[in-house]
Amino acid sequence: MKAVKAVFRNPSLLTFLLVALVWLVASLTLRGFGAYGHLRYLLELAAVIGIVAAGQTLVILMGGIDLSVGAVITVTAILLPLISPAADPTGLVGIVLALALATGIGLLNGAGAAYLRVPPIIMTLAMATFLQGLLVIVAGGSAVTVSNPAVILLGQARPLGIPAGILLWIVVSIVVLLIIHRMPLGARFLALGANPLAARLSGVSVARNTLLLYALSGFFAGLAGILVLGMNRQGYVGIGDPYLLMSIAAVVLGGTSILGGRGTYAGTIPGAILLVTTTALITVVNASPGWRSIMFGSLILALLLISGREARR
Amino acid sequence: MSAVPSSGWLYGAIQRGRNRGLGGLYLVVAAFLVLYAVLFPGILSVSGFSKFTQNWFPLALVTMAQALLMLNGGITLAIGPLVSLGAVIAATTMGGALGVPGGILAVALAGLAIGAVTGAIVAHLRLPAIIVTLAGSFIITGVALILLPRPGGFIPDWLSTTLAGHTPVAFLLLVAILLAWKAFLATPLGIGIYAAGDNPIGAFRSGVPVERVKIVAFALSGLLAALAGLFVAAQTGSGDPVIGTPFTLNSIAAAVLGGVGFLGGKGTMRGAICGSLLLSVMINVMFFLGFPPVAQYVAQGLIIVGAVAVPELLKQWRARR
Repeated sequence: MKAVKAVFRNPSLLTFLLVALVWLVASLTLRGFGAYGHLRYLLELAAVIGIVAAGQTLVILMGGIDLSVGAVITVTAILLPLISPAADPTGLVGIVLALALATGIGLLNGAGAAYLRVPPIIMTLAMATFLQGLLVIVAGGSAVTVSNPAVILLGQARPLGIPAGILLWIVVSIVVLLIIHRMPLGARFLALGANPLAARLSGVSVARNTLLLYALSGFFAGLAGILVLGMNRQGYVGIGDPYLLMSIAAVVLGGTSILGGRGTYAGTIPGAILLVTTTALITVVNASPGWRSIMFGSLILALLLISGREARR
Repeated sequence: MSAVPSSGWLYGAIQRGRNRGLGGLYLVVAAFLVLYAVLFPGILSVSGFSKFTQNWFPLALVTMAQALLMLNGGITLAIGPLVSLGAVIAATTMGGALGVPGGILAVALAGLAIGAVTGAIVAHLRLPAIIVTLAGSFIITGVALILLPRPGGFIPDWLSTTLAGHTPVAFLLLVAILLAWKAFLATPLGIGIYAAGDNPIGAFRSGVPVERVKIVAFALSGLLAALAGLFVAAQTGSGDPVIGTPFTLNSIAAAVLGGVGFLGGKGTMRGAICGSLLLSVMINVMFFLGFPPVAQYVAQGLIIVGAVAVPELLKQWRARR
C-alpha cells in the first residue's frame, strides 16, 4: 500500500508506469505493435517531441510558456537548407548557423518578456505570428529539400541499430536533468517559478534568467527542427505546427505544474512517449478524422486525470 | 434622499477607475477609425457602417468570450473550434423540422452545455484550464467534422440578409449584448467573476461560490463563441467545420490589447471590446492599403507586442522620474 501511494505521489514515475502498461497491453492485443522496429520508430517520433519539450519544460517550470516553438521548428527546417554554405562539405556550419538563429529568436522572446514586460504567452504568440509572415516572404511557401550531409546523417544514421535522433534525445535528457537537478541554474529557475518575488528578493536576477531560459527554449526547438528536417528530408511551412501543442501536452502529462515551480523533465520524457503511442494507437483504429480527433482529445483528458491534477492552492 | 447624489458620485468614480489606463487605447482606436474613414469614406454610409460592424461582430463576441474567462483567472484555447461547431450546427439544423428558431436554440444549448462541462472539469477536477480547453478543442473539432465533414449545409436566405445585409442589425445586437453584460455584472454572480479571478480564496471566504462562478463563466463563454459561429454561418451562407480556427489566437490578442490581464480580476470588458475593434480596424486598414496577407502577419505581431509593451514602458519611465 505504501508503495502504491508513493507512486501516486510521484507523477513522473506514474507516467512511466502508464507507458509501460499501454505498451504491454497494446503488444499483447495488436499484432505488430510490439515489434522491435515499431517500438523503435515510436521512440524516434517521440524524440522530436521530447527535445522540443525540453525547452518547454524549463520555461514552464519558471512559470512562463513558449508558444513560438512550432514556428521556430519551421524556421530552422526551412532556412537551414538555404543558409548552409555549399563550400562546407560537412554541413556543420549550416547547423551552427541555424542553431544560432533559433537561439537568437528565443533570446528576443526573453528580451520582450524581461525588459518590455510583455506577458510570455503574448510575446511568444506574437513572435510566432511574426515568424509565420516572415517565412512566407523568405521561402515563398514552397518546400525546400535538404542536401546538408550532417543533417541527413542525423535523421537517417543508426549507429549500433539505434537511430541518431534517439541518441540525441538521450544526450539532451541528461543535460536538461543535470541543469534542473544538479546545477544552481536549475534551482534558480524553480525558485522563480515557485515565487518570483521571493526569488528576486533572495538575489536571483529575473531578467538574466528569463533571457537564458527563452534562449534555451529556442535552442532546443531549433535542434528539434534540424532533426525533423533530417527525418523528412524536406522543410515546408507548417512542418513545426503540431509540435507546439504536443510539447505543452507532454510537459503537463509528465506532472509538471503549468503554473510553474513544480515538476521535472523526468516526467516529460514518458509524457512524450505516451503522446506518440496514443497517436499511433488511434491510427491503428480505422476511424474517420472526426472520430480520431475526438479520441485524441478524450485520451489526453483521461491521462490528465491520472497525472496532471493541480494541487489545491 | 442624500444617498442618491453620493451613490451617483461613487458610480462616476468607479467608471473613471475603469477607464483609467485605457485612454491611450481609446486614442489609438480613434486614430485608426479616422484613418479608415479617410481611406474608405464608404464607412460613413449606413450600408458601409453595417458591413464594417459585421466584420467586427464575430471577433467582438469571441473576445468577450475570452475576456470573460481571463477576468475569472482562466483562459480557453477552444474558441475557434466552438465557433466552427456553432456554424456547423446552425447549417445542419436550420433546414430541419424546427427551422431557424430550433437551429438558434440548438446552437445556444450546445455552446452553454460544452462550456458548462469544460467549466465543471476545470473547477471540480482541478485541472489547468489551458490544457483542458486544449484537449477540448480536439474533441469539439472532431464533433464538428462528424456533423459536417466538408463545407455545406443550409442557411435560409432571409436570415443571412437580416444579420449580414445592408442594415446595422449586427451592431444593434452587439449593443444589446453589452447592455446584458452590464446588467449581469450588477448581479452577485457577475461581480463574483471578477472577485474569484482577483483572489479566489478571499472571494470564497466572502461567500462567493467560486466553483459555480467558474462553471457559469465557462458556460457563458461557450454560448458567446457558439453564437459567433452562428453569425459566421449566416454571413457565409453555409457551415464549415474549420472556419473558426483563427479566432482562438485573435480572441486572446484582442483581449490583451484591451488590457485584460492573464492572472484574473484585471481588466475591463470595455477595454476588451476596444481591443477587438482595434484588431479588426487594423486588419481592414492593412487590407485596403494593399498589404499582402503575409505582411499583415508581420505587422500584427509587431503591433500586438508594441501595444502591450508601450504602456508598461511608460509606467516604468514615470516611476523612475
